[in-house]
Amino acid sequence: MTATAPATTARTTAPAPSRLRRLAGAFTWTRLAALLIALFVAAPLYWMAVSSLKGLDEVGANPPTLWPDRITFDNYREAFAENNFGTYLLNSVLVSIVATILVLGLSSFAGYALARLPLRGKAPIMVALLMISLFPTIALAAPLFLLMRELGWLNSYQGLILVYTALNVPFAIWILRNFFLGIPKEMEEVAWVDGASPVRTVLFVILPQARPGMFTAAIFTFTACWTEFLIALTLNTADRYRTMPVGVALFGSQFTIPYGTIFAAATVSVLPIALLVLIFRRAVVSGLTAGAVKG
Amino acid sequence: MRRGERARRQRRARKDAGAVAYGRSPAGRLADRLRGRAEPGGARAAAAGGGTGPSGDDRTDLERRFARLGWVFTWPALVVVLAVTLFPIAFSVAMSLSNVSVSSGGFRLSGFTTDHYTLLLGSGRWRHALIFTVLYTVGTVIAELVLGTVIALVLERLGGPGRGWMMALLLLPWAMITVVSAQLWAYMYNGVYGVLTSFSEAVTGEPVQFLGTRWPAVLSMAAADVWKTTPFVAIIVLAGLMMLPNDVTEAATVDGADPWTAFWRVRLPLLRPALTIAVLFRILQAFGLFDLPFVLTGGGPGQATESLALLGWQVMFTNLDFGPGAAVAASTAALVLVGCLLFLRAFKARVGDEESGT
Repeated sequence: MTATAPATTARTTAPAPSRLRRLAGAFTWTRLAALLIALFVAAPLYWMAVSSLKGLDEVGANPPTLWPDRITFDNYREAFAENNFGTYLLNSVLVSIVATILVLGLSSFAGYALARLPLRGKAPIMVALLMISLFPTIALAAPLFLLMRELGWLNSYQGLILVYTALNVPFAIWILRNFFLGIPKEMEEVAWVDGASPVRTVLFVILPQARPGMFTAAIFTFTACWTEFLIALTLNTADRYRTMPVGVALFGSQFTIPYGTIFAAATVSVLPIALLVLIFRRAVVSGLTAGAVKG
Repeated sequence: MRRGERARRQRRARKDAGAVAYGRSPAGRLADRLRGRAEPGGARAAAAGGGTGPSGDDRTDLERRFARLGWVFTWPALVVVLAVTLFPIAFSVAMSLSNVSVSSGGFRLSGFTTDHYTLLLGSGRWRHALIFTVLYTVGTVIAELVLGTVIALVLERLGGPGRGWMMALLLLPWAMITVVSAQLWAYMYNGVYGVLTSFSEAVTGEPVQFLGTRWPAVLSMAAADVWKTTPFVAIIVLAGLMMLPNDVTEAATVDGADPWTAFWRVRLPLLRPALTIAVLFRILQAFGLFDLPFVLTGGGPGQATESLALLGWQVMFTNLDFGPGAAVAASTAALVLVGCLLFLRAFKARVGDEESGT
């Protein structure tokens, strides 16, 4: 901010009116472009929310109505009272939150060790982790299915939680390690000298300083678990254990897809994330960008 | 690869050392020197600077204790990752090279065979899925990169509170469940009551059947993909833009470069690291394409939008042909690996040159 201040004052004090006019023109063009981008991004979301408020005949109307003739919450009742979208939503929340907590627990210690402690073979471990985190999950689907069948963990929470934890630990280690590398060493050295145990040092000295990194890792992990489909479809097909993506994908028959009901559930599934994003806007963006660029 | 890693670590170590030495009290610096011998930080710097690292005999007791602690901290994570990813990958490869017999009682591997891969190479369906996946990946990633960069530039110029709100809006498609966005686009593309269908009718006079024939279906799916993932690229590129030093662009402008040249010649090369990350992420995601065709097109019409992942899944879990399915899965994974290594090598070489220049 402060760095740009002199430049702007120099520009505004410049006496050339033509440049001023050009600047004003560019400004509106920028705003117009931003408006178009916002419309492009928001229009499908608007359509989803509006369609969820339409009655059955209006959802299938041709031509479609831009605003519901009659606003109804039938779709919401249909989705949550008569179908199991509430269960799917809770399953998704449960699996994603538990996996995120486990990922943070495992990868904060591992990330700290890989950033600070004199381990041998750090570089190969980091490269291997990166490659694993990039692997297409289709290569895991069949073996994991067989493994979980052996364990009796098909259609369970723990099976999916275990897989999601493992899939997201590698990237979280990368984010956190990069973050730990940027933290000054004095504090933890004081803790060592004072005789704090290693676990206490990490928990109470390191992690509080790495809060933005933890936040970034948590967001990436949660979003990845929240949207994951292939593994959930392979492991948890029983209605009681379906997550939201599986529930949404398998809802309806081959010939009729009740879009109104789906969009009611979908709108509810987007709302909490939308609220979180709006509330933590700055932290999310700076966390994402810091993690992504450094990573 | 390894040389690049070592160089990076050395740079980082140098940077760390600089950060520590700069602006510290004499007492702090003394403490640094005292610590230098035994503490983990010092050991790391020594290992990075020494190149090959210390041999086992040189290690002090304290160092060994720290190393042991390091493994204690690392192994839970590594065990979980190995059990759930590396072991299954190895199993996938083994399964793709074995005779697999599935019965109601269970599942047995017997004997080595390359039949599954022969079957794969001879299969038109696999070749089609491969070509489709590669072209789709290249096409969508290029589109997303160009659009994402344009959006990032617009947002950079926009500035102020408007930028913050725009970024929040851009995060929504990224955090949205892919299956949900696929249903949403399926609804909008619907041939009878889809809003885009009636929009196309209003514009061109007759309704476009978006998902009915081959190329429109591919392009429609790509559009849905671009809508969902371009915002992510835009945010990463914008972050890269905001981290660029202002004075470089200003210097170029003072030297008489017009904005276009300044962007193309000065800022874009500096953006390369951010772009590399964005592209790498997107290539990997696009190559594993599954959710979108599963819901939006079912791989159709015909096999027009059948990706490698979708093909592999259907062969394994719909037809229960685990051997050939594993061959599809393992070869997809191998392709991703090779592609990423090539991409990283090509990119790293150039990034490395520039960094050593500064």
